[in-house]
Amino acid sequence: MINFIYLTILLPLIGFLINGLFGSKIKNEKVIGIIGSAAVGLAFLVSLGAFFQTLGLPVEQRSNTVELFTWLNVAGLNIKFGYLVDQLSLVMSLIVTGVGFLIHVYSIGYMHGDKGYWRFFSYLNLFIFTMMNLVLGDNFLVLFLGWEGVGLCSYLLIGFWYDKRFEKGTVAQAAKKAFIVNRIGDFGFLLGMFLIYSTFDSLNFSEVFSKVQHFPVSETTFSLIAIFLFIGATGKSAQIPLYVWLPDAMAGPTPVSALIHAATMVTAGVYMVSRASIIFASAPAVMTIVAIIGLLTALFAATMGLVQNDIKKVLAYSTISQLGYMFLAAGVGAFSASIFHVMTHAFFKALLFLGAGSVIHAMHEQQDIQNYGGLKKYMPVTYLTFLTAALAISGFPGFSGFFSKDEILWYAFSNGNFIFWFIGVFTALLTAFYMFRLVSLTFYGEERFKHTQQHASEGRGEFENVPHPHESPKVMTVPLIILGILSVIGGFIGIPALFSGEGGNNFESWLEPIFKPAEEKLAYTGMYTHAQEILLMTISVAVALAGIYAAYYIYTKKPDIAGTMAKKFKGIYTLLFNKYYVDEFYEAAVVQPIQKGAEKILWKFTDTFIIDGIVNGAAKLIDKISGTIRKMQTGVAQFYAVIMMVGIAAVLLWLILGI
Amino acid sequence: MELSNLSHSLNLLLPELTLSIALLVLVLFDLIFHHDKKIISYVALIGLLATGFFVINQFSLSGFAFSTGNESYRNFGMITIDSFGSFFKLIVIVASVIIVFFSLSSDEIKKTSERIGEYYALIFGMILGMLFMISATDLILIYLSVELLSLSSYVLAGFTKLRERNSEASLKYMIYGSVSSGLMLFGISLVYGMTGTTNLYMINSLIQIPHLNLFTFSFAMILIFAGIGYKISSAPFHFWTPDVYEGAPITITAFLSVASKAAGFALLIRFVKITFVSYIDTSGFWQLIHVFDWKTLIVVISIFTMTLGNFSALWQDNLKRMLAYSSIAHAGYIMLGLAVLSNQGLTAMLIYFAVYLLMNLGAFLVVMLIANKINSEEIDDYDGLGYSSPFLAASLAIFLISLTGLPPTAGFIGKLYLFVALVDANMIGLAVVALLNTVVSLYYYVRVLKHMYLTKPETAIPEIKTSKPNTILVLVLLIPIFIFGIYFTPLVDLAKGCITILGL
Amino acid sequence: MTSIPMEYYLVLSGFMFSVGIVGVLIRRNAIVVFMSIELMLNSANLTLVTFSSYLGNVTGQVFVFFVMTVAAAEAAVGLAIIIAIFRNKLTVDIDKINIFKW
Repeated sequence: MINFIYLTILLPLIGFLINGLFGSKIKNEKVIGIIGSAAVGLAFLVSLGAFFQTLGLPVEQRSNTVELFTWLNVAGLNIKFGYLVDQLSLVMSLIVTGVGFLIHVYSIGYMHGDKGYWRFFSYLNLFIFTMMNLVLGDNFLVLFLGWEGVGLCSYLLIGFWYDKRFEKGTVAQAAKKAFIVNRIGDFGFLLGMFLIYSTFDSLNFSEVFSKVQHFPVSETTFSLIAIFLFIGATGKSAQIPLYVWLPDAMAGPTPVSALIHAATMVTAGVYMVSRASIIFASAPAVMTIVAIIGLLTALFAATMGLVQNDIKKVLAYSTISQLGYMFLAAGVGAFSASIFHVMTHAFFKALLFLGAGSVIHAMHEQQDIQNYGGLKKYMPVTYLTFLTAALAISGFPGFSGFFSKDEILWYAFSNGNFIFWFIGVFTALLTAFYMFRLVSLTFYGEERFKHTQQHASEGRGEFENVPHPHESPKVMTVPLIILGILSVIGGFIGIPALFSGEGGNNFESWLEPIFKPAEEKLAYTGMYTHAQEILLMTISVAVALAGIYAAYYIYTKKPDIAGTMAKKFKGIYTLLFNKYYVDEFYEAAVVQPIQKGAEKILWKFTDTFIIDGIVNGAAKLIDKISGTIRKMQTGVAQFYAVIMMVGIAAVLLWLILGI
Repeated sequence: MELSNLSHSLNLLLPELTLSIALLVLVLFDLIFHHDKKIISYVALIGLLATGFFVINQFSLSGFAFSTGNESYRNFGMITIDSFGSFFKLIVIVASVIIVFFSLSSDEIKKTSERIGEYYALIFGMILGMLFMISATDLILIYLSVELLSLSSYVLAGFTKLRERNSEASLKYMIYGSVSSGLMLFGISLVYGMTGTTNLYMINSLIQIPHLNLFTFSFAMILIFAGIGYKISSAPFHFWTPDVYEGAPITITAFLSVASKAAGFALLIRFVKITFVSYIDTSGFWQLIHVFDWKTLIVVISIFTMTLGNFSALWQDNLKRMLAYSSIAHAGYIMLGLAVLSNQGLTAMLIYFAVYLLMNLGAFLVVMLIANKINSEEIDDYDGLGYSSPFLAASLAIFLISLTGLPPTAGFIGKLYLFVALVDANMIGLAVVALLNTVVSLYYYVRVLKHMYLTKPETAIPEIKTSKPNTILVLVLLIPIFIFGIYFTPLVDLAKGCITILGL
Repeated sequence: MTSIPMEYYLVLSGFMFSVGIVGVLIRRNAIVVFMSIELMLNSANLTLVTFSSYLGNVTGQVFVFFVMTVAAAEAAVGLAIIIAIFRNKLTVDIDKINIFKW
């Protein structure tokens, strides 16, 4: 199957073409949905086949390159369109196609009746196509192609309901924000790529990485490359300072948030950093920066998540926070832990989003959790799966998130220091708290929706808006259940050596060949005992349980506490609620000056005065000249002949004078 | 000449023979099937496909046909078969096939459907002329094939006869063409007088020893260049182009602008390469024999050609005429590839021709489909077309953008390779001139887009419906423009494999 | 034959060629223009035959036969076109045949 890996890329492309070109003509929604889902489902099967084939190979043969064709061959730059099938890319492609397939199936139900149904599925397939290029590409340029492609798809899908309003602006504005902020990151990535090419004279992964190990290149160069690449990663993976687009990206349909803004695209930055692990390992200073940025993002996003009232916003901040964990792991050199968390996070966060989608669906597009409550009895499947995911993300023992997060925290302690670990654990506390605040407000307690909704409808006499909460159809709940199962058992493939004994961490040993060079370079010596590991683990479990219970207690048992607390700590509450005013700060410090400057200097002076002056002047001159030249075309054949003779005579004259 | 030699020669001429047979069958069928003329088009198509098959078969083949057999001379023939020639023959055949499809949906041609047999017979005459032009290595054959091409195209330019415009185009073409072929013939007669031979290879070996009167020889070369320059419409031999292109039926205009030009260029390249290059150095540059400075001549002429073409196109309100000037400008760009006088430049020219075939035919096709309905080629009648017929307008826009040479279209790749070849040959000044010309050309191409998308029409115009076959034909030309714009390696590889010109 | 030097023929043919060109450039009647073109072709023929004879090489003479055929074909096509244009415009004055310009 390895040789057929291109099918995983080709199939979604075919799906995209079919739905994109003929979708508007296909009247049957089911056909469109099945084409879209089948393309991804088959791609998943191919990836699975390739995975098992690779598993059967001896360790040293597990990295295979499938070259399709030479893409560019201009003046020394030779780029082949090749796909790298190795342990890392297989994990990523299984996540992308597997979770992607479930979300496609879910969308069949969720998008039912939407006027852009075919458009939605064609975009989703295009996304999978570009994402697969990103994770499978065997050189930086193909990766970048996918990188830009997913950015485009993200833009298209955030703005899917382009004619709707979103918060203070429109959906289209949210989409634009995501695109522009991503562009800043992409610029960094591009610079990093140029630097790689100028340093190593190649963009191919294997060539570059082997040269990294053997070329005498200064640490400054490595640091520059790594920092540029990391800037790219902060854009795509929503890290400080470029995280601001992700909450706004929630303007898109919920399956999109699940697929792109939780499970796959946003982890592209983590993938890229892991893929280039050897470059990062050669620049220890940048590694520390990565870890600190990750940690800070995790902490701040978690605090912002505490007070949000939009169900998707809470999940968005939670995503940012979890991505922060992944970068923390990468920053302390625990790349496989980072990828492990990418995987478990894909399961439970996709599940959370899909569950939220199911709730939103039931509540008629109502997204404010203050208007939910007591939904447990109306939608049992959604409730149970959502609870599973919440437990998983909170790090409840035995659930997938427990293993992955705990591994990260352990490495933060053993490779980093106590402060990393402490902030990480504190963030875990916050995570557990806001997640169960969400669960409590949504599924437990009294039903707040009837009250508010009836109130509204009495005033306007609209009765159709009264929600009748109901369980979603099977096509939506089955993916929920599958993801629920994965959220529980997904962690067992990465059980730490502590529990599994002799065999060690399966997931880690699977990825080990990829990260070995980086780890050797970093040469961390874990001089800690199992006892310490158990101690730390116990603490984090206790913290998670505390967070869960506190949330449950405050929001279900004693709902009034929440209000009093909010009043008591009004300052902090407002600060958090307004997300530290970062958006406002960016607006005042970056957007406005640029806009003003652009208007005054670039537009009024440079553009209008200088450039327009030159361009218009040149245009006028050319107009004059051409007006004269075309007069030569008199329409009389003999005149043409005369000019021809004059031409010949001129050449003769030149010959006479020249020779 | 021995019999085995003859059969060997005929074997090399399979495409031309097939085409001649198809021509005869066409004439015959035209006489037999008086009422149902539809079959003629199919016969034409089959003939072309068969020819195309033999051309493709010849890609790996090379050799000389009708060699003199005289041992005292180097044993070169009148006709040379090589991959370079096969490439251009393929371009001509592909263009011809597309032109047959053009003709099937052209209203102008449909109106004269009772003479359709004549029409195809003449087109086949043109193609035959082109095929011989591409592989001719003897001055006699060069002259004859040029005349065969010209005579057929004179008639075709005025084919519909009904309109005054047609006959005017025809007459102008005829006068201009006859004068330049007369000049060429006189040049040939002088060369023959000086060297005693008409074979290019023999001329090459004779002029390596400098005993000629250089001035007379150069004079003869200029006269011969006049004949070829008129075929490729390079300045100052380009004046007929806009008038003929505007007046001729659009199918013929499209054919002249691509196939005839391709054949002319193939002849020019082969003529210069075989006759004047003494050797090719290790980095692929052609070293000229010091009898005539082709390089300077071609540089100057190409600058004039593209500048005149682009600047005159700025003012044109008739799309056909604008495309005529644009095709002059493109001839100028392509000549740059020859001016480099290197294998790299030749590769760039081949790439450019393949791309030019697609985009120029595409642009003419869309203009024709629109003219079929609104009966006009004036730019003002294109107002608001972007909204009333989105498919045609978008296709035209893409073809024009490709002609400008903007990414991600194939036109960009064509220009890119040309400019890279120029820069590699240290002719950066020339590259800059060409680049500035491209900027000028942007103006008149985009002007069409402006009319289609930004100008509101005075009266509401109905949607122009395209039939299925026409839509497919547009797509056939459109899709490769994108494919080659992004993934151009196969094209480049093909071109790199086709730069073998036998000789030396 | 030996008494007349080659230069005589060449000068004659050059003269014919010039007359042809001048005729093409200055005469207004399309038919006269075509006659001038014929003159150009025939001057080339004369050159070819001359060289052929003096070089003792038959190629030039063969070429002349081809050129004569071509010239005949050209005349036929040319006259047909002139007739077509005369039917449309009732004139063969080249100056007046200029719808296409600029």
